Parts: sequence; C-alpha cells; structure tokens
Amino acid sequence: MSERYLPGGRPPGPPEEGIWSYAITESDRVSAANGAPDLSWLIGVGGAQVRAITCSGLAVLVSDVSLAEFGETALREHLEDLEWLDEVARLHHNVVETAGRLFPLLPVRLATVYSGAAALCAALADHHDELLDALRRVGGRVEWGVKAYAAAEQAEATGGPAAGKPGSGLAYLQRRRDQLAAGREARAAAVSGARAVHAGLTGKAAAAVVRPPQSAQLSKVRLPMLLNAAYLLDASDGTSFTAAVAAEATAHPELRIELTGPWPPYSFAGGDDDGR
Amino acid sequence: MSQAGQAAPTGQRVRYRLDADDDPQAAERGLAALVLTLVELLRQLMERQALRRVEDGTVTDEQAERLGYTLMQLEERMGELLDEFGLEWEDLNIDLGPLGPLLDDHRA
Amino acid sequence: MTDVDLRDPGLSEAGYPAERVSLVDLLDRVLAGGVVVTGEITLSIADVDLVVISLRALLTSVSALVEPQPEGD
Repeated sequence: MSERYLPGGRPPGPPEEGIWSYAITESDRVSAANGAPDLSWLIGVGGAQVRAITCSGLAVLVSDVSLAEFGETALREHLEDLEWLDEVARLHHNVVETAGRLFPLLPVRLATVYSGAAALCAALADHHDELLDALRRVGGRVEWGVKAYAAAEQAEATGGPAAGKPGSGLAYLQRRRDQLAAGREARAAAVSGARAVHAGLTGKAAAAVVRPPQSAQLSKVRLPMLLNAAYLLDASDGTSFTAAVAAEATAHPELRIELTGPWPPYSFAGGDDDGR
Repeated sequence: MSQAGQAAPTGQRVRYRLDADDDPQAAERGLAALVLTLVELLRQLMERQALRRVEDGTVTDEQAERLGYTLMQLEERMGELLDEFGLEWEDLNIDLGPLGPLLDDHRA
Repeated sequence: MTDVDLRDPGLSEAGYPAERVSLVDLLDRVLAGGVVVTGEITLSIADVDLVVISLRALLTSVSALVEPQPEGD
C-alpha cells in the first residue's frame, strides 16, 4: 500500500485529476502495522494503482483518474456508452471483489469521484457513524442474487377451423378468449410463486432486499421478471443457500429461477445519503 | 430489434453493440419491428374489445362471427408481414422498463 | 461464480474474475447498489437509470433509420 494522506491534505499533481473510490473499510484493515495485505499490484479504473486514503478511523480504496474522462460532464456521456460502461464497471468490480476477499468492506457506487483527499475525508467525517454501522452490519458477508422470471408458456395450438368455414370467426374468438384466460391464470400463479420463493429464501439469510426488475433491453430476456432480490449471507453458507435455491426452483415449475453470486455486498451497503 | 452480441474467446471481454455492422438488413428489420409492434398493439386492443362485447352480449352472433373472422385474417396478415421482414412474433415488443413489455406475448 | 472457493485470494487466469458475470447483473449492482458518500466538493452520479441508458441507445439507433422529413411539410 503506498502513501496515505492526512485529513485536509491535498495530493500534489495536476488539478485535472480526481479520486475514484471503490470501497470503504476500517483503517485497521489497511494499516501495514496490522499486517494488512499488499494491494499495490491492483490496478483500477483509468489504469492507476489502487491505494488507500485514511481518515477518522476509516479507509477508502481509491485510484487517481483524469477528469477529462471521469469528470462530471465526461461521466454523464460515458455512462450512456455501453462499451465504456462494460469496461469500467468490470475494472471497478474487480477491485471491489478482490479486496472483498481479503477484508470486510462496503462497496462504493460506481462513479463516485472526489476532487481531492480533503473532499473525501470531509464526506467520510460527515457520515462516519453510519458507515461504521453499515460495515458492522455487512461484516464480511456476501451477497447472492436470485432472479425469477415467469417461465415460458407452452406453445399454443394454432390449429382451428380453416378460414372460410362457417363459424370460424366465432371459433377464433373463443380460442383467443381461452388463451388470454389461461395466460392470466399462469401469470397470477407465477407472481404468487415468486412471492413464496422470496419469503422462503429470506428466512435463510441474514438480510434480504428486493430490487427493481432489470431492463429487458439489457438482459435480453423476454420473460417478465417477477423477482430481483439480493440475500446477505455468511461466506460459509454458500453451499446450503445454493441448495435452498435449487429446492425452490424444483418446487416452482411456473418460474425460471437464476442464481448469481457470491457478490460483494453491493445491495446492503446502505444506498445514498437519502438513506434509500 | 436485432442485436449483435459477440462472445469473445476466453480472456477477452464480451462486447455489446446495439447496432450490427455485419447485418445490413438489421436497420430495416428494426424499423419494421417498431412499426409492426404498434400495428399489433392496435390489433390486440381491438381483439380485446371484441371479446368484451361478445362476453357482454352486446353483439349478435353474426356480428361476432364477422368480428372474429376479420381479426383472424388480420392475424394471418401480420404473420405474413413478419415472414416478409424475417421477423418472429417474439421480435414485436417494446420494453417500457418498470411498466414491463408493451404487448402481452401470447405466442412465446 | 458459484464455483469459486471463497477462501481463494487468487484471480482467474484472465485477471478479471468478473469475466463470468453478465453485464446486466454487474451494472444492476454497481450502478444501483453500493454506498454513495457525498460531500461539498464532490462529483458523483448517485442514481443512474438503467432504462434511460438503454432507451437512449435504442432511440439513437432507431432515429438513425428514419428518413429526414422534407422542409415545410
């Protein structure tokens, strides 16, 4: 770990640089005196080395970024560029995940850039207690993601009276009415199934949170997403939780269930200043 | 909309592109899909209204037969248009984000 | 990701464990999750709407297909 900055200090360097932050942890974790792991080989967003800035008992993993690419205006444009986002998100996540295997931390949201160490430390000082609480709550646990979609409906029989035969129009309407009713029933069953799955898995986790459904444009999945949830678990509970999810999937054929994980606890880090 | 997501060999990152350089028909198909989605939306709305009126009993058997026949022909015509543009029924839809997809896809 | 031994500090041979993660799941977390600690002199994009991102890209590709209308129509 390279040099640390005292609160109020500004690093030397061109003013066109900012500080990109990855994760927050207790300062003990990164102190060399306490036998902290060496992360100096870890490269972050924008190609610079990851280092720690310590103030008020907390440490933030950061790296320098050029404001030309990562400043506010540039960021707003770049965030709409899926290719740029793909690369930056993976670099960011790589730092969070790698450090997360070594010590408990709070992931920081993508694109949180500070003008300097002074600004960063001031922000940390303002939220010190909440951050410490969040760190203790998360305490080195990991997140598993469960998504449930309404399973694809069976292909409808498209046969019916041939066009031109008497009664074919009425028969068509009847067929459509039955199809729509069956579709409504299937959807209702899937929705209640998703609720049951969430309730069951919540009981097996330290914490659970339901998140908005993902954009189908990005996920490319055409099925309706009925559940997008994150569950907080001890690192050692991975196997039993995976088995629990598999059991839910078997019990609910009306759903397509997907499991991802383990993740650093992104969904349990505490959201933004509004407490969302 | 036709998407080109290229899976790269191990060790490279997956790229996502929303336009496809290697498919000249993609642009036409994309526009056709958009237009046909709206047409299908109208057709489905008409169909539901027809079904409601049949349920309510506010149409005669003969009217119901004609309504059904027309809707059936419209569905066939839609199928032909899809074939012409190389589209599937599943390609007709617009994702409204939190509101879900625009159309109820009964042909998944 | 479920194959990973949680005690293993190493990285995948590609150097990016996130290779196996789908973009939508990753963005779902790094853009809408994680803590945001704002301060006075800070730049941060606290809340990015995934729908907006994808819609914009979609509209851009669609508008490129539409012929410009003649003036005075």
